[in-house]
Amino acid sequence: MKKHLQRRKRRSVPVPIASMGDIAFLLIIFFMVCSEVSKDNSKARLTLPFSEFVEKIEIPVAARIAVDENGEIFFDGYQVDSVKEVEMGVRALLTKTVSDDQRHVQFKCDAQLTKEQFEPVIKAIAAGGGIIEAVGENNE
Amino acid sequence: MRRRSTREKKHRSGEIPTGSFSDIAFLLIIYFLVATTLVKVKTITADLPTGEKTSQPQSDKTPIVNLRGAEVFLNDRKVTIEQLNERLAALELAEKDPSKRVIMLESASGTPYENYFQALASISEHHGVVAIVEEDE
Repeated sequence: MKKHLQRRKRRSVPVPIASMGDIAFLLIIFFMVCSEVSKDNSKARLTLPFSEFVEKIEIPVAARIAVDENGEIFFDGYQVDSVKEVEMGVRALLTKTVSDDQRHVQFKCDAQLTKEQFEPVIKAIAAGGGIIEAVGENNE
Repeated sequence: MRRRSTREKKHRSGEIPTGSFSDIAFLLIIYFLVATTLVKVKTITADLPTGEKTSQPQSDKTPIVNLRGAEVFLNDRKVTIEQLNERLAALELAEKDPSKRVIMLESASGTPYENYFQALASISEHHGVVAIVEEDE
């Protein structure tokens, strides 16, 4: 009988859960510090061009510029009226940059747009000092 | 008298319930995990040098890629995108000085971005420095 009682006692070992809250909050803080809010151009509707040479980008971009299927230009999600605003915006963002890694500007454009619509934007980014990261999709 | 004081004491010694803190925290973590999207877009990198047109004649050896609508020309010879890739690979630009890696990119009006992107991707992939040729006004 005694033996039976001893066995039961051994099994009921309490798991220390007092620090679980602290661990969880530390994890939350970690996620909040490490995550970056997406500034994607959700309003811009476009079809991306294809190429076999596109690669996943690892470098953070200074700005996101998109030209949608109607030729409307978006700068970090906000519609702008002219390419001059793109150039000024890129230039303003890149004034305090110290290395080339900070000069990357994401460029999305609808595949069917013509030269007259997209080339001025490309030139504006280049004139503002940005390195173009042209977004596309893989052929495969 | 005694009864009162014990009641008051009970009231004062009320602790903040922290037992559910870990539950709240884990719910927040789950929310962040579900709501977060790791966006990694696929791109090609093109560093376009900017500058003014000079009166100095451009070296004849500088390759020119011409885009005329859906057609691609390399040094005035019609090529496909695959042929363009082969020819640019043959130039071995990676081993050259940056000033000699320049590839001129000229496009006619009406050229779709799809073709422009493919030419740009091809030049960038083979370590070329793209120089956009502007039409004279």
